[in-house]
Amino acid sequence: MGQVRSLEPAYYEALRRLTLELAGVKLGINTDFYVETRLSSLAKERGYADLQALISDLFSDGDTRLAVHVVSALLERDLRFFDDKAGFTALSKRILPLISSDFAGETIRILCYGCASGQEAYSLAITLTDIEDSFPELAPQNGFHITAVDYPGRALSQAEAGRYTHFDVQRGLPVRSLVKYFARDGEDWVVSGQLRSHMDFKEAHLLTAPDAFGKFHLVMMRNALSRYAPAAQMRILRSLAPVLETGGYLMLGTQENLSDLNFGLDPVRACPGFYRRRATRYFEDDESGNPDVAPKHQAAG
Amino acid sequence: MKSCLIVDDSKMVRRVAGRILKDLQFSTGEAENGSEAMALCKSAMPDAILLDWNMPVMDGLTFLKGLREMPGGQNPVVVFCTAERSVERISEALDAGADEYVMKPFDSDIIESKFIEAGLI
Repeated sequence: MGQVRSLEPAYYEALRRLTLELAGVKLGINTDFYVETRLSSLAKERGYADLQALISDLFSDGDTRLAVHVVSALLERDLRFFDDKAGFTALSKRILPLISSDFAGETIRILCYGCASGQEAYSLAITLTDIEDSFPELAPQNGFHITAVDYPGRALSQAEAGRYTHFDVQRGLPVRSLVKYFARDGEDWVVSGQLRSHMDFKEAHLLTAPDAFGKFHLVMMRNALSRYAPAAQMRILRSLAPVLETGGYLMLGTQENLSDLNFGLDPVRACPGFYRRRATRYFEDDESGNPDVAPKHQAAG
Repeated sequence: MKSCLIVDDSKMVRRVAGRILKDLQFSTGEAENGSEAMALCKSAMPDAILLDWNMPVMDGLTFLKGLREMPGGQNPVVVFCTAERSVERISEALDAGADEYVMKPFDSDIIESKFIEAGLI
């Protein structure tokens, strides 16, 4: 049985092109049904009569804000709390104690890049708060702050609200964490003020350099790189590495790696998915942007 | 293969949960209430118990408290599976010795996630 499509075939191709150009993500060729369901829902939310009306507006008016919302809806990921749990275990047992020690006296600043609906950012906040409560000697002395960024859209709004359905909170979140960090509100569960006080959520275009947010001791972007076209992967990694403090860490998914493109980052031994920024001024000095050239200068000290 | 006793007064819930658990490679047994479950645990202690709260004859919380006092009753991993969703009820279940907690309605993804969380998978 054929799929029900409400748009002309050329529009699906145009949407795929838009997603690649705007976000660097290549949607598969058999994604018409996916496009249909995601965007029909967005059209309804934004008060359009139907999907065709939204698409007409998008392509006739050249409304860039609408384009970002369309792409954001197409990129929404089905996230769960503590997904790829081995990464969180390595983070709490190996990496966070190192960060706390190397940057003693500082408030640990963390960037959650591409936070979508927020489950990963909150999982990170829960991990850090649990360490503060149970192993204060291993926790950052001056606390932590998480900046979570993504394209504007429904997912980011949900992340900011910290509101999840009873299905959401039962996927990956231990019940003890649910009781400790969430409160019931009607049929939903809402993140506690205690966690929220460590976090802020901001809109960002993920292909532009996030240096406006400052420098970070840990940048987290897990299990998302593979969605991007190779050129976009390079662009993201090249812009993420310089926002890491020297000696800071990049956290990818445990199955992800940078292969030959290191961007001034060295893999952390026995911690799959973790990379540490080495002491080099390579990024600031390499105007060619070629990641394959050797570092030109070593940082002082 | 690990064993799981499904304790619920709803035949439908027992059937659905049974199918999910078989897919997760568990052998399953069934009881309609806490009293039946207690008798089954006395003869053979399962590795896991998926436990409803509100049941006739003996409710889930009473069963759990009794189970934890039985010889060997500390061993089974107990996952509550109930329509009770308040923080107070969940805390009461954890205080009585529950290891994890599923709020109905559930699906296979939730059961799998909770069993992983409880160390059963």
